[in-house]
Amino acid sequence: MIEPLRLTYQLRCPADHAFEVWTTRIGAWWPKGHSASGDPGTVVVLETRLGGRIFERATDGAEIDWGVVTQWSPPRRLGYTWHIGRDPMQATEVELTFVDLGEGRSRLDIVQTGWERLGADGPMWREANHGGWAALVPSFRAAATIPLAD
Amino acid sequence: MSPSAPAGDPFDALGDPNRRAIVELLGGGGRSVSDLADALPISRPAVSRHLRLLKQAGLVLEEPHGTRRIYQLHDQGVAAVQAYLTAVWGDAVGRFTLLAENTTPAEPP
Repeated sequence: MIEPLRLTYQLRCPADHAFEVWTTRIGAWWPKGHSASGDPGTVVVLETRLGGRIFERATDGAEIDWGVVTQWSPPRRLGYTWHIGRDPMQATEVELTFVDLGEGRSRLDIVQTGWERLGADGPMWREANHGGWAALVPSFRAAATIPLAD
Repeated sequence: MSPSAPAGDPFDALGDPNRRAIVELLGGGGRSVSDLADALPISRPAVSRHLRLLKQAGLVLEEPHGTRRIYQLHDQGVAAVQAYLTAVWGDAVGRFTLLAENTTPAEPP
């Protein structure tokens, strides 16, 4: 198994509010240009329920799936698969935990797992065959909504 | 190479098929520039240019062996990719934080 990507961020707002902004206002804060279509007018939608879709809708109405909500425990935990327009079989998994710290502060923990699923060469990762991962990196790029905007 | 490509971006470094081929060859062990050029349909100067970019991206290491220079994959290559992903998340989360911290929760009805 490939080591999960673990990130932690401190927030100066209550966890309930952070959860709400993450889920219901993703279209407002998701960086422009971090999309599969590259269309600057793209709108990002997260359906706030278990099994809900996460997708982008381009200005022409075309929709591209990014993932599916797999954990829905408002206002503390959210999980979803993440493949951004690629084969869903290659989806990584993202788990977000919003921890309230009191006094208007909270912490957001992000864990992204399932990297070994990227590409048919997945087992090569586990065997630490360095030649294998080069073929997978373009998938990382798509999976992580690269390129960096701005 | 695109002038807008940030130096050291492992994804840009691997965006070129010849560089991916070099990385795959190095996956089988360290090689010199001439070894690589013999195995690829490109010239030695071209191989050297690609190696320089891979080095800047933190994916390849260069080690002197007598009069030859041997190139090998950097063990931390995956770490470099993860660092890059962290930066991408940071970009998204930075915008999220700005919005979350500067808006107020909806008033309960």
